[in-house]
Amino acid sequence: MTAIQHQPLQGSHFRRILVIAANTFTQLVRMKVFYFMGIFAVIAIASNFFDLPQHEGPESVGSNVLRSIKSWSLGAMTLFSVVLSVVATALLLPKDVEDRTLYTILAKPVPRFDYLAGKLTGVLMLVFVSLLVMDLLMTAVLHIRTGMVVEQQMEMARAMGWPPEAIDSLRAETLANGPNLSLQGAVLAVFLRASIMASLALLISTFSTSTLFTTIVSFLVYFIGHFQADARDVWLHAGQEGEGVFARLAALLFSLILPDFQLFNVIDAVIEGQAMSLIALGKLTLVGLYYAVFFTFASWFIFADKEF
Amino acid sequence: MIRVPMAESTPAVEIRNLSKEFRTSFRRKPLRAVDDVSIRIMPGEVYGLIGPNGSGKSTTMKALLGLVAPTSGSCAIFGKDSLKTDSRNEVGFLPENPYFYKHLTGAETLRFYGKLCGLYGKALAARVDELLDLVDLTNARDRRVGGYSKGMLQRIGLAQALIQEPRLVILDEPTAGVDPVGSREIRDLILKLRDRGITVFLCSHLLEQVQEVCDHVGIIFRGRMIREGRLEELISIEDQTDIVLKDASSELLEKITALVAATPGASVVRTGKPRTTLERLFLREIKEEKP
Ligand SMILES: Nc1ncnc2c1ncn2[C@@H]1O[C@H](COP(=O)(O)OP(=O)(O)OP(=O)(O)O)[C@@H](O)[C@H]1O
Ligand SMILES: [Mg+2]
Repeated sequence: MTAIQHQPLQGSHFRRILVIAANTFTQLVRMKVFYFMGIFAVIAIASNFFDLPQHEGPESVGSNVLRSIKSWSLGAMTLFSVVLSVVATALLLPKDVEDRTLYTILAKPVPRFDYLAGKLTGVLMLVFVSLLVMDLLMTAVLHIRTGMVVEQQMEMARAMGWPPEAIDSLRAETLANGPNLSLQGAVLAVFLRASIMASLALLISTFSTSTLFTTIVSFLVYFIGHFQADARDVWLHAGQEGEGVFARLAALLFSLILPDFQLFNVIDAVIEGQAMSLIALGKLTLVGLYYAVFFTFASWFIFADKEF
Repeated sequence: MIRVPMAESTPAVEIRNLSKEFRTSFRRKPLRAVDDVSIRIMPGEVYGLIGPNGSGKSTTMKALLGLVAPTSGSCAIFGKDSLKTDSRNEVGFLPENPYFYKHLTGAETLRFYGKLCGLYGKALAARVDELLDLVDLTNARDRRVGGYSKGMLQRIGLAQALIQEPRLVILDEPTAGVDPVGSREIRDLILKLRDRGITVFLCSHLLEQVQEVCDHVGIIFRGRMIREGRLEELISIEDQTDIVLKDASSELLEKITALVAATPGASVVRTGKPRTTLERLFLREIKEEKP
């Protein structure tokens, strides 16, 4: 009896969230389904190793190969991270309610917010680790292939007797398509998008009655999010003729609640070999954080009064 | 630990006029699962709540743990409102038919709940070992909980409820699905808890066991508390006295009967093997309530 001191609330929020996150992480890792998904994604990226370089093409073909590797890899990452975020989050909460493990957790001195934040953090930890592995693989593949492409191009240029300035600019252009910081920024953007989706799925799962419903609605919002900006523009133009202020306010409210995934088109720009500015990445991070925090607090708002 | 004198007079459990209605979508009228129930359990008491299926026992316990919000009334644990998280610092809960994360082993499960209660390091490891030993699961400590039998789940659930050495333990049917030997062990464990001054609030359908371990009993029927009090007072019959004999020959019994018959005013009500009287009380009370 004397060994344990009873404080107002034992342990900090941060620690408790980490404990639940670590538990969620292990839970997902030990669910073999996600292994297979991860292995699939890794194979998808690794397969670029065995795609032999084309010899016949002119100087632009080399860069195209690099672009296609990036596009393919980032595509695999996006698919994997979004599906994992949505499905895992949609699965975890109803599972805890159904198995009544939630009773035992909430009967401990665990605030409901900590529980939600822990679950979300656990899913995001797994997404982060998977993306890190895929990123390392992609960077390695890209590094090797870029070296091969540059070597080929140099050989070709020297054989054709190009002036040194032209050779240098071709090399610079090719290297821009290789692994660089902008590419890492793009991967971070993929993670941010997955975070938004995970927190959205968390919010939906607090009031939905089934995993299927949560998954479907989350993906619906995902697709709507890609057209949101267009829809808003159309609406605003229509509104300018009539009640402009109202339409503007409604549009603002709309974008505060529904994420605009067109912001993530910067990923495509990076695939095209453009640089991603630090400001653009910072803005994206803020947007991602805003939605993740907003959705988490909204989930808490609903979850706080829930009964089991 | 410095004990404030006040603390001893604070009830471990204080349920005041608790009512809970569930809105069922298909029915217009909300279902009243608990109806104006008040329970007060002082520290060190062992309180048994009994009642037929669906009478609101589990709902009362859930309200006490803040898992459901009362429609009216209030619940408090050691004076702290159940709707606040810090009321759960000193309580351990074993839900009915508990399930735990299938992906964890027995030891990992206890570690997880220990960490949630703010334990860590050596203290946690020692506590986990101690509890696994207490519930006799040391051999299964590294097996996944997903493969545990019902009785093992019940026991790991009990260990989990005790992880932070709570001063109050709430057990919802602790012996459901446990074999007679295990059931007896759980009973002994509850008695051990009582000896250590831990307050226990339990509900069970095994009236014999409730009678053995509880000093206070409440009978709940259709959400209403119909009888409550000290067990001895509830089941004692004032104008009767039991004589329990061992290895009594029939001649001896005849002699006693003759002696009683010769005494004016006294009479033998019944002879035979002793029975669980709580069970009889329970059945009688329920019969009276039924229209
Ligand atoms: N979440 C809920 N939604 C709707 N009705 C509920 C809910 N939980 C309990 N009830 C209803 O409340 C009543 C009391 O249920 P409760 O689980 O408290 O009974 P119990 O006394 O524990 O029964 P048992 O002995 O079978 O465990 C039942 O009629 C039940 O159907
Ligand atoms: Mg019950």
